[in-house]
Amino acid sequence: MTTAKQLANFQWPWQYDFPPFFTIQPNVETQTKQIQAWCELVLDYQKHIKSYAIDVQESLSSPLFHNAKIKRKLPIDGVYLVLNALKDKGLLEWQDKKMSRALLMWRSAEEWAKLIFNWAERSGMTNTVCTLYELQLGNDVKKEEFYEIETWVLKRALRVLEKKGKAVMFDIQPNDNDNSGGVKFLS
Amino acid sequence: MGALFGKSKPKEEKHQITEQDRAVLGLKQQRDKLQQYQKRIKISLEQERAFAKDLVKQKKVDKAKLLLKKKRYYESLLEKTDGQLDGLERMVNDVEFAKIQVQVVERLKQGNECLDRMHKMMSIEDVERIMDETQEAIEYQKQIDELLGNTLTDEDETAVLAELEQITQQELQNLPDVPAASLPATTTEDVELPDVPTEDPGVTKPCSIGII
Repeated sequence: MTTAKQLANFQWPWQYDFPPFFTIQPNVETQTKQIQAWCELVLDYQKHIKSYAIDVQESLSSPLFHNAKIKRKLPIDGVYLVLNALKDKGLLEWQDKKMSRALLMWRSAEEWAKLIFNWAERSGMTNTVCTLYELQLGNDVKKEEFYEIETWVLKRALRVLEKKGKAVMFDIQPNDNDNSGGVKFLS
Repeated sequence: MGALFGKSKPKEEKHQITEQDRAVLGLKQQRDKLQQYQKRIKISLEQERAFAKDLVKQKKVDKAKLLLKKKRYYESLLEKTDGQLDGLERMVNDVEFAKIQVQVVERLKQGNECLDRMHKMMSIEDVERIMDETQEAIEYQKQIDELLGNTLTDEDETAVLAELEQITQQELQNLPDVPAASLPATTTEDVELPDVPTEDPGVTKPCSIGII
């Protein structure tokens, strides 16, 4: 859960303190701009708190959609408008039919893939095997942007690399838990 | 997962994963598990310590002592896992190093085979024969040279000398003329030279500064 401390140095956009931002605008052109601004805010916010999932009910009362200072809340219809706009961009994926929870990628799998492969090349990890755990929480990646990346995001990124023939994922026991596998980076 | 990010599994490229890769993965997985285990123990350690402190505050010294014993036990576990981690990492390095060694040997073998093949293309006998033939050819050439050299008649010799003479003459003509005008009189008589000292300068002390 987000704490005030986590958000202490988050840069809110100017619109966040602008009450009409929290009311979906009837004018189509204005609304498009508004939704776009909301999308950016959601991505920035999720990136800041390093969260890869969003729960609609929870988010409604989180600072993201609720500005306590100006006493404004984005209504649930608005939240869905924003989240579905993100879905159209290929950055969000609903986890259930009721659309109550979603996975959210504030950086596309391709971008993650590039970051990870760059690291592998830089640190001479090509042609060697790394465990997924090592990529997420290893001592060597503490300073990397993908530190503490969630397993499903990591796997998506690695799958992008696999398609490009730059990595192969494999495991000794396929029935082990989710992030137990390994990956071999190919030069 | 939904259709959007879909789990479209690419064809598995098994051939790129070697037996060594599997071994390394296994070792690294074990290392990860140990690291996770260590994290857990460290958390327990801190908790035990905090508990012990609380107990001491509540004057339950015996229980605190018990907890500290437990803590000590955890610490010994931590030390043991450290040793195991070290062993695992060393093994990973050994496997990777051996892999590289195998590759090096493989390349050396290739190079050696290539050399061998090239050596087969030229036997020692061939080389000897070629060298002999070359020697023969050189000698043959020498003979021809000698024969040709000797065929120069006296006439040719004089012609050669004449040409040489001509060239030297030309070179001489190209030299600049000797200046005709006499040089202005120098005033050597007026220069006063210092007299030769009559006294013995005695022992000189070269750069005695700074040296004691």
